[in-house]
Amino acid sequence: MFSIKKVAGIAAALGLLAAGAVSVPADARVKAAPKILTVWADSNRAANLIKAIGTVAEQTAGDYVAGYKINVVGYTGFDTLKTAVDAATSANGPDIILGANDWVPTLAKDGKLAQFTLSSSAAKNFTANQLGDLSYSGKLYGVPLDINNVAMLTNDDLTTVPTSFGEMVAYYKANKDSAGLTRGLCVAGGGMSWGAAGILSALGGSPYAMSGGKAKITGAPFTVKTFAQNVKDQLLNVDGTPNGFFTDSDSNCKQDFIDGKVPYAVIGNWEWKDYVAEGFDMKKLSCVPGIKVNSCGAGFGSVSGALLTSFAAGAGDDNAAKSFLNDFFGSAQGAMSYEKYEQRPPANKAAAAIASPALKGFGLAASKASIPQLGTFLNGGAKDTTGLVLGTKAAPGTKGANVPTYWDALPALWSALVSSDSTVRKDPTVASQLFANIMAANAANSVNN
Amino acid sequence: MIFLKWFLTKSWRHAIAWAVCFFALFPLYMIVLTSFKKTTSLQVGSFLPTGFSLTNFNSLLTNPTVPFYTWMSNSVIIAAFVSVVSVFIGAASAFAFSRLRFRGKKASIQLLLLIQMFPAVLALSAVYSIMDRVHAFAPSIGLGTIGGLVLVYLGGAMGVNIWLLKGFVDSIPIELDEAARVDGASPMQIYWRIFLPLASPVLAVVCLLSFIGTFNEYILASLFLNDPSQQTIAVGLHGFISGQFATNWGPFAAGSLLASLPIVVLFLSLQKYIVNGLTAGAVKG
Amino acid sequence: MRLLKGIKIAVILKIVLVTIALAVLGFLMQAALLAGDTQIGIFFGIAIFLIALVYFTRISIPLKFFLPGVLLLATFVITPVVYTISMSAYQYKTGNILSKPEALKMLKSNDAFAQVPDEKKFDLKLGWCDEKYGDPKDVANAPVCALVSYYPDNIYFLSTATTLTPLTRDRIIFNKVGLPADVTKVGAKFTWEPFYEDEYATFDKTIASTRFKYSKPGTFMQAEGYSVMAVYAQRIVYDAKADTFTDIKTGFVYKDNGRGNYANTKNGKDVMYPGWREVVWFENFVNLVNDPSVRDPLVAVFIWTCIFAVTTVVTQFALGLLIALTLHTKMRGRWIYRSIIILPYAMPSIMSIMIWGGMLNTDFGAVNNLIGLIVGHPVHLTWLTDPTLARTSVLLVNLWLGFPYFYLISTGALQAIPAELTEAAAIDGASGGQTFRKITLPLLMQMLSPLLISSFAFNFNNFNLIYLLTGGGPKDTLSGQSAGATDILISYTYNLAFNKGTQNFGLASAVSIVIFVAVAAISLYGIRRSKVLESFV
Repeated sequence: MFSIKKVAGIAAALGLLAAGAVSVPADARVKAAPKILTVWADSNRAANLIKAIGTVAEQTAGDYVAGYKINVVGYTGFDTLKTAVDAATSANGPDIILGANDWVPTLAKDGKLAQFTLSSSAAKNFTANQLGDLSYSGKLYGVPLDINNVAMLTNDDLTTVPTSFGEMVAYYKANKDSAGLTRGLCVAGGGMSWGAAGILSALGGSPYAMSGGKAKITGAPFTVKTFAQNVKDQLLNVDGTPNGFFTDSDSNCKQDFIDGKVPYAVIGNWEWKDYVAEGFDMKKLSCVPGIKVNSCGAGFGSVSGALLTSFAAGAGDDNAAKSFLNDFFGSAQGAMSYEKYEQRPPANKAAAAIASPALKGFGLAASKASIPQLGTFLNGGAKDTTGLVLGTKAAPGTKGANVPTYWDALPALWSALVSSDSTVRKDPTVASQLFANIMAANAANSVNN
Repeated sequence: MIFLKWFLTKSWRHAIAWAVCFFALFPLYMIVLTSFKKTTSLQVGSFLPTGFSLTNFNSLLTNPTVPFYTWMSNSVIIAAFVSVVSVFIGAASAFAFSRLRFRGKKASIQLLLLIQMFPAVLALSAVYSIMDRVHAFAPSIGLGTIGGLVLVYLGGAMGVNIWLLKGFVDSIPIELDEAARVDGASPMQIYWRIFLPLASPVLAVVCLLSFIGTFNEYILASLFLNDPSQQTIAVGLHGFISGQFATNWGPFAAGSLLASLPIVVLFLSLQKYIVNGLTAGAVKG
Repeated sequence: MRLLKGIKIAVILKIVLVTIALAVLGFLMQAALLAGDTQIGIFFGIAIFLIALVYFTRISIPLKFFLPGVLLLATFVITPVVYTISMSAYQYKTGNILSKPEALKMLKSNDAFAQVPDEKKFDLKLGWCDEKYGDPKDVANAPVCALVSYYPDNIYFLSTATTLTPLTRDRIIFNKVGLPADVTKVGAKFTWEPFYEDEYATFDKTIASTRFKYSKPGTFMQAEGYSVMAVYAQRIVYDAKADTFTDIKTGFVYKDNGRGNYANTKNGKDVMYPGWREVVWFENFVNLVNDPSVRDPLVAVFIWTCIFAVTTVVTQFALGLLIALTLHTKMRGRWIYRSIIILPYAMPSIMSIMIWGGMLNTDFGAVNNLIGLIVGHPVHLTWLTDPTLARTSVLLVNLWLGFPYFYLISTGALQAIPAELTEAAAIDGASGGQTFRKITLPLLMQMLSPLLISSFAFNFNNFNLIYLLTGGGPKDTLSGQSAGATDILISYTYNLAFNKGTQNFGLASAVSIVIFVAVAAISLYGIRRSKVLESFV
């Protein structure tokens, strides 16, 4: 049985607790334990941000935001992160997300992001375009982090940096057998839609027509006839079968390139160190050359951003999150301390000084030609109400069907053009026309987005 | 003559067995081959090993962003807990369905069977939002915690293995129960003292199958556990080959090998019991 | 005596366990109620009541066995199922995922005001000020007070929600980088004290919800973090009575359109986001039937799902049975064969599926390499991108995954068939084939039909295989196909619900009800036919 002493002791303790709860301390400004600000990122970025600011255990409260420590949570991949963000709720959602600019429109529509304002001094560090990329219907939702782009690397043991698309094809045809090439050009970084945008553009295609730095919402995105002809000339044999220079698969591209089985590869600016480690020369970076000599295919130059969530306000971290965005990612010092590890071209102008020669190579490729990554154009959402967008020969029930997104449509276009499976291939003009229709429909629909 | 007889009666059996063994082993051989290769690709130059390298194991076990051991122990803890508790719950239910008389028995077992057929993946968002609310007042068993995931897995505990268990309960002679009942034992006592000891071998088997089933679960675990240090091995390894920017078959194969080895060994060593357990469910004695 | 002692321990153990369970649940109930979640609190209350009732009284013996399972089932299976079913009556998709109060709160706080474009962004230092009491530490009465400055123009003032007090430069104490850090005191009349470090965190919600006063009428200031103050103006006004938003500049009125958004009364397409999930009753089901872009893929997918599930069960069972018959005799190395053959079953299937995915790759996959070795020249079979081959691949991989299970249970069943039966048939002059067809197979089918049915139900919803192997593909995206060649109902619906671009939970819920009804009807028919329930009842 319980002893009387014990019971008395417990009662006394409870009494004291109760007394503590009701008595008003002389100074109500009691020191509170530090709160935690949560940042979600993919595992690469998470690891680098932790290197820059330390783990929660290593930080002292107020190192970055008064009264707070910063906890960085990493997800195994970018897609995993997006899945988690889509599923996030006020109970488990983060305060800040390090994500892509094309996430902004849908996340804002779903009420997952909160608008915020950069201080004048921080805003000066970014271009209007970069801030525009992270805005939706006129409101800013984050701080630009770094610029993601790809550039083409040439294996200079095999050949020289090409000045035109035809030069690459000619090299491939001449050396295919003697050098044991598996392909001429492939996408090692960024995938068959985002990473391959430069190749689409080099051949005369585009996700949307640009005019004066802005995407046009009406009219054809590109001249279908020219594009189809270029595809026929460069990627197909006379009989219409693919010539093997470029395939619809990016699998094994990185390894094949490193092994010398592919002379040209599109690589991402987040992975260039892997190639340096294999002895490649970053001076051999270029854009994907166009059909005309010295012209350039335009890839995406997108910014990733540190985005403010609406969960922050719910958790009572709103201003802390805003402070961290403004004072850390918005400042030159903060951006530099992070990009030192991240090694991508920083969006922050003041931090650009740390750019390495490799990053300059990417920057140069981007500066020659690049298109903004506009989520409202690329993420689809249009309906084929007339049944004309997707072609009359399409599967039954196409009328009223959802028009695919750019992300799904471009890989499908590559398959239709250069798949090794003849049943998948379509006539280049027909396929290109479908793709152009899809992008035009999504562009027109962007007004609704 | 003897050879001819052997040839006619046995050789085709061996031929079929060889062919099936080849089919069964081919992917497993690929895992072993790939994991000991120097490169991270799944490409095969030759089906014979061309070299021996532990690069893939190194990059799996020494990379600080890949907490392999944590993933492994998470999976083992989750699967062990779920399998033991769910067998316990399942056995109790199977016993009651088999041996007790009560109203609405047929209706309730049909309901149980039907509920199991709802596509669970699609109820995900509902499970998610329930656990989200739980998180608000009990953070240790809500969304994003191993405890919460275990609870969700246990939701199906009653029905999942009921076929196996039911078959086995039926195969235990009812005379034993009746003898005990005559001696004045309550159903609880019969359950604890007669049924459970008799059933322990088959319970162990069901437990193992349930362990493997939980170990294999992917979607719920991938949505439910956010923090990489809490992820399970299935989700963690999938990250290697689903990455937007790279596919690392080498470390994936090495990880699969390490993760499945204990299970395969356990399975093979308990083979006899598993076969008996499975068939007890199917075939009434 | 021994028995009695045993009972005593058992009873004590029971009381202890049940009490612990009740205590834990009671604690959770209290926590839930304190957090304001009455529904879950009530649920815990019911659970506590039931547990106490069942285990401390003799009200129902079967329930003593069922209760833990039933409680878990009710929470994590039945409730989600009911919830999912109810969601099918909602407009519930990207842009409409919040509840109406949540969406309204967001619209009022986030959308209703906009930054005034030409205004300065001020430097901000947060603190406390109080004129009446002169004691800034009396937090209970002191309002949050912002020291706002723009030093290039020598503008300094203190602002609260209700007051605005200009300051002269000589009152300001600057820090090392030249930013205002404190205010000098003038007697005891008026003081300002900066926040302690930790108060920023503690009062974040107060700061976020305060509209600081600004000199221009119609505008106010809002803290953007701890060091920036921005000027905002009301853009849209909410009228709670009419439940409408009015745009001050354009005069447009936004009204609840009954479909989860506030829409411009003059242009229905101009809607405000975020929206909320709104009841649309049977619209999702009507779309299933009427909208060909939803209906046609669904029909095709349903047919393939049935083919897939049936073919899988038939092939797995056939191969399993063949091996069982083959090895159903004494032969050398049988245990080695058996050990190898059950390896695919022992291997965690999730990893096997992913490895198969790599092996079936057109360019570097081991399967094409092997075929190339056999036929003597490289082959490029597009296992995962050609519709027919992809379907074959899915069936092939599933065969690999499942045949050992059927081998094991067929072996067991074969052993359970009394030898006398087959021997008697042989004596009657039946051939081996006849015996098998007339006696062995029917007996096997009778014994194994419950397992065949459950295998069918499992494969009908075999999400992992499709999702991890082909992702439902291939599909002709350019022509607008929304369902891939290998998409089964569950993977197709998963894409509807959790797709990366746009998500439609309402429609997905409607489809999942259709799936449920289909698979339940087929299985129920099978169960009735095979009479497997008889042994239960």
